[in-house]
Amino acid sequence: MSPVRPVVDRDSAEWWALLATGVLAFQRCSRCLLWRWPARALCNGCGSLAWRWEPASGTGEIVSWIVTRHAFLPDVPAPYAVLSVRAAEQPDLLLPGAYAGPPDDPRLAIGAPVTAEFVPLTGEGAPAALLRWSIIQSSA
Amino acid sequence: MAQSGGGAVLRDRTAVAGVGWTEYTKNSGVSTLALALRAVRAALDDAGLEHSDVDGVACHRVGDSASAVLVAHVLGIRDLRFHLDMFGGGGTSHQVVAQAALAVASGIADTVVCWRAVNARSEFRMGGTGRAAPDAPEFQYQLPYGYATPPQQFAMLDRAWRHARGATAEDLGRVAIAQRAHAALNDRAMMRKPLTMDEYLSSRLIADPLRLYDCCLETDAAVALVVTGAERARDLRQTPVLVSGAATGGGHTLFSNGRADPTVSAAADLAPRLYAAAGIGPETVDVAELYDAFTFLVPLQLEDYGLVPRGETGGFYADGHASLGGRLPVNTHGGHLSEGYVHGLNHVAEAVTQLRGTAGERQVPGAEVALTTGQPGYVGGTSSALVLRRDG
Ligand SMILES: [Zn+2]
Repeated sequence: MSPVRPVVDRDSAEWWALLATGVLAFQRCSRCLLWRWPARALCNGCGSLAWRWEPASGTGEIVSWIVTRHAFLPDVPAPYAVLSVRAAEQPDLLLPGAYAGPPDDPRLAIGAPVTAEFVPLTGEGAPAALLRWSIIQSSA
Repeated sequence: MAQSGGGAVLRDRTAVAGVGWTEYTKNSGVSTLALALRAVRAALDDAGLEHSDVDGVACHRVGDSASAVLVAHVLGIRDLRFHLDMFGGGGTSHQVVAQAALAVASGIADTVVCWRAVNARSEFRMGGTGRAAPDAPEFQYQLPYGYATPPQQFAMLDRAWRHARGATAEDLGRVAIAQRAHAALNDRAMMRKPLTMDEYLSSRLIADPLRLYDCCLETDAAVALVVTGAERARDLRQTPVLVSGAATGGGHTLFSNGRADPTVSAAADLAPRLYAAAGIGPETVDVAELYDAFTFLVPLQLEDYGLVPRGETGGFYADGHASLGGRLPVNTHGGHLSEGYVHGLNHVAEAVTQLRGTAGERQVPGAEVALTTGQPGYVGGTSSALVLRRDG
């Protein structure tokens, strides 16, 4: 959706690189196994500096969403929805992302289950992708 | 009742002895340095002090205003005993005053001026530009989604809060309407025309669910306070307003390993420490000036500061309890929504005015204790608040 590329830093470069390959990963503490994101050098659960990237399920639930109706950024035309998603791995793991459906989709609801899609970013710079969430249809 | 230690060491030992404001405008036409100096001059005049009495300076800013040391140099303070130039937004506003009070109570400084000076409308808008907050590595995870500005970030929290409490747009409309009615009694306020529910509900959605009238007024203005020892303040021009309690607290990160529930703010952790520091409970508060960059933050803080039970703020407003004449008047100046946005410090100034008993038509009769708060810690912030008490 957006041509705005992330300003990657030394902590985050590997996460963005993984996302560009279609892998949603979070950091995981090697000692206490707590998940964390964005990338940080220290686990605030146990204080350990040891960690690894671990692929996540790519699923979660909607914590909240907004619909931007007044365009803030010249390159991002309104209206559009942005979701805050609670990752399935851990209750305090929250991350934003775009929404795959229309901004006024009546299916948007707090608690709705979602799954991650990856949208490659074109243009100059290192390979990168953005997250886009779609609602998982119930099989009922 | 009161707990020993902690913030209680500060109780009633320092006072706000002076308050100063510049005009509130959409374009000040001057620098933030000039605004800061005008507000400081006004606050010193109010206190009956000279600039040569000042030996400490304290402000907060986000790369949008003149530095504290520059203000100190212009004031001519050679032996600068206390200097605080805090990086931060509205969550740090009350911490600036608390740190000044600590410096005075500990004897590091005698008289500290605190201020916030912004050309937040004409030069450095907070709300509308998509500009990156300085020093915020988290920005990279939001900006690519067109998700960057305070109205968007707070709209995300707003929807979660409304959902959890069953709050309606009308519930939040009553907050905006009540504050506008207060602003109508405030000569300083930017917006004084009464607001109707129809106008509120038909105002455009900025970042759904946030409407235009849920958002504060970006303003060019400065507010300054003079903090000195309680005994010294009693010899000065105004009724001293004592710093009875101060507390700072944490906040929500935007992402992980923090607080999983966005509908309860860090103020809920801070509040018990704050009340213990002041030796009071929430039932003692006569008037509350609560940080209101967006409407929902007001009922949310009424909950988190223990002033109204969770889920009951809608009825509290519908019954008029938050209005002048009600059980607990809230944001008697009109708040950031209707007076203007001076990033938290104008709430402290209003609390001081109320406790002096000089608020004129909007005076809360007999107000003795005020709660005044900064942003309750969202969007990667921290939280801070003060309990102020009329001397005597
Ligand atoms: Zn750990």
